[in-house]
Amino acid sequence: MFGSAKRLAVLLAAGALLAAGCAEEQPAPGAQGGEAETGPFKIGAVLDITGAGASLGVPERDTLTLLTEQLNAQGGIDGRQVEMIIEDNASTEDGAARAATKLITEDQVDILLGASRTGPSLAMRPIAESTPIPMISLAANAAIVNGSQWVFKTAQNDSVVIENIVRDAASKGYRTLALARDASGFGEGVRELFDEIGGPQGVSVVAVESFAPDATDFTAQMVNVRNANADAVVIWGIPPAAGLAQKAYVQLGVGKPVYQSHGIGNQVFLDTAAEAADGLVAPLGRLVVADQLPEDDPQKKVITDFVAAYRAEYDAAPSTFAGHAYDGFQLAVDALRNAGTEPDAIRQHLEGVDDFVGVSGTFTMSPDDHSGLTADDLVLVTVANKQFQLVQ
Amino acid sequence: MSDLLQFVVAGLSSGAIYALVAMGFVAVFSVSGVINLAQGEFAAIAGLSALSFTDAGLPLPVAMLLALLVVAVVAVLMQRLAIAPVRRMTTLVSIILTLGVSTALKALLLLIYGPQGRGLAPLPGADLVIGGVSVRAQELWILGITAVVAVAVAVFYDRTVLGKALRACAEQPIAARLVGISPKAAATVAFAVAGLLGAVAGVLASPIQLTQWDSGLLLGLKGFVAATLGGLVSIRGAVLGGLVLGVLESLTAGYIDSGYRDAVAFVLLIVVLVARPGGVFGRHAEARV
Repeated sequence: MFGSAKRLAVLLAAGALLAAGCAEEQPAPGAQGGEAETGPFKIGAVLDITGAGASLGVPERDTLTLLTEQLNAQGGIDGRQVEMIIEDNASTEDGAARAATKLITEDQVDILLGASRTGPSLAMRPIAESTPIPMISLAANAAIVNGSQWVFKTAQNDSVVIENIVRDAASKGYRTLALARDASGFGEGVRELFDEIGGPQGVSVVAVESFAPDATDFTAQMVNVRNANADAVVIWGIPPAAGLAQKAYVQLGVGKPVYQSHGIGNQVFLDTAAEAADGLVAPLGRLVVADQLPEDDPQKKVITDFVAAYRAEYDAAPSTFAGHAYDGFQLAVDALRNAGTEPDAIRQHLEGVDDFVGVSGTFTMSPDDHSGLTADDLVLVTVANKQFQLVQ
Repeated sequence: MSDLLQFVVAGLSSGAIYALVAMGFVAVFSVSGVINLAQGEFAAIAGLSALSFTDAGLPLPVAMLLALLVVAVVAVLMQRLAIAPVRRMTTLVSIILTLGVSTALKALLLLIYGPQGRGLAPLPGADLVIGGVSVRAQELWILGITAVVAVAVAVFYDRTVLGKALRACAEQPIAARLVGISPKAAATVAFAVAGLLGAVAGVLASPIQLTQWDSGLLLGLKGFVAATLGGLVSIRGAVLGGLVLGVLESLTAGYIDSGYRDAVAFVLLIVVLVARPGGVFGRHAEARV
């Protein structure tokens, strides 16, 4: 008995020594040795490639792959290649945390991209903050960057989307809204934002229903929304759920004007909702209406170039999510080019981003604003004949 | 009142899908004592292969029938390759084994079809509104086809020689062998039937619920719960179990909170296993080990 305890102690001590030895050999994440100065830049991306966020993560993966190939073919960043390491978080929070940890400790990436959705992004945030390593999320909820030091994001904040919806609702005289929202991170806090932004303009939320991001039956939610008898309805979700909800909304004859969020900017939504989508209004990035933008739009060139490159490679139009990935990639590359791989230098560079023309909008960041987009970076879009149309 | 009816209609149509999957569980378990956790994957394979057939330009009914055939072949292959070679099959071994098959099938579907979900075109017909209750044409198709399939399966087991032989294997395996019924052949037929049932569920559910590589997981779990409600050996019990589960889910989502929807099945499962392990609708509450 005594003997085995002693043996255990020796083993433990040996293990601890071994671990200490290993730790010494491995440079701390972010710290750069001589070799890294000449090797490739490493960008790690955590995306929702499978699971509920697949319709976001797949085009994002495709975009990052395409842009990395393009950049490397042109000689990389000042002659150094860029290595893009993409991990699937299976649309789960724990998957995102695991993947982020793996990219930081094993692959020792210089900057993190992702995740595609709010929940997984929030799971990555504390890891990025404590490492620390700069991270650019592609998701929407402002909570991802509120008060953060190391986390940035490219998708338009939910608050600027809600500003657009409230402004339009108020101008049309809608005073009450019924909200059917995603029950995961993307829909978290949306009601509160509507109250905060809508209150001064006399627009209030009178009913809230929620649905799981992988839900398939929306009868319960839409019946309750119908009973709320509000002036207009807001559906806040991502495809395919947002499309199925839109279908149920029409099928159950809710019969009120409907707003959707900026989460619907892809073909999957148009395919899922089909004719049911006609007439909805949603604030979306300019990407989905690229062909309808006026020539003098400052984003026109960036967007049309991206659409052309994406079409040439994948034979499909890029979604707004592809656009968020594009912006994340360009911001990361711009920071690596100008600031090198020192984490704090990258962070300071990102905080100084000014008038950076991207696909999701024109970014102007600051130490207090790690999102950098305003309500003007969205346009009101409707759907007709399975096509997004700019509302004039 | 129209709200209640609306919830019931939605519940019955998703319950019918559970009922089809549940009948598949019963078809296999009652003959061979195998709990086939890949039953839900049969539905996913059916939906996805029907989608690729329609993509190839085949008309919808043909694509659906071909998908049934594909799944029947997959089910029989699964029985031949993974189940039949095991010498001493117990229910526990079968659970572990079929869980493995289910995981492998899911991975294969992910590789072939990618992660994104898609829906088959709905069967023809106009959506109706009766007394404030909206009913989709596809929901009528689901209820109608499920009813026909359930009756056909019941007649198969009660009236046909093959069906009676399968029941004989289930009830008196040794006596069945003595009169010359091969348990192996019986198990193969049972898997083919289970495959067909899962496939019907898959092609019917696809237009409403969309199909992706992992659709089978939740469908299989719900179907298993429905089958357990019926005691796992009764076709009628499985059908009733499916419908009851669907309606309960829908009412919970409508009147309590949609977040509890998926919890209903598992709470129900625990309650039934503790209180009546022989199934709610079974005549005798006796655990089959």
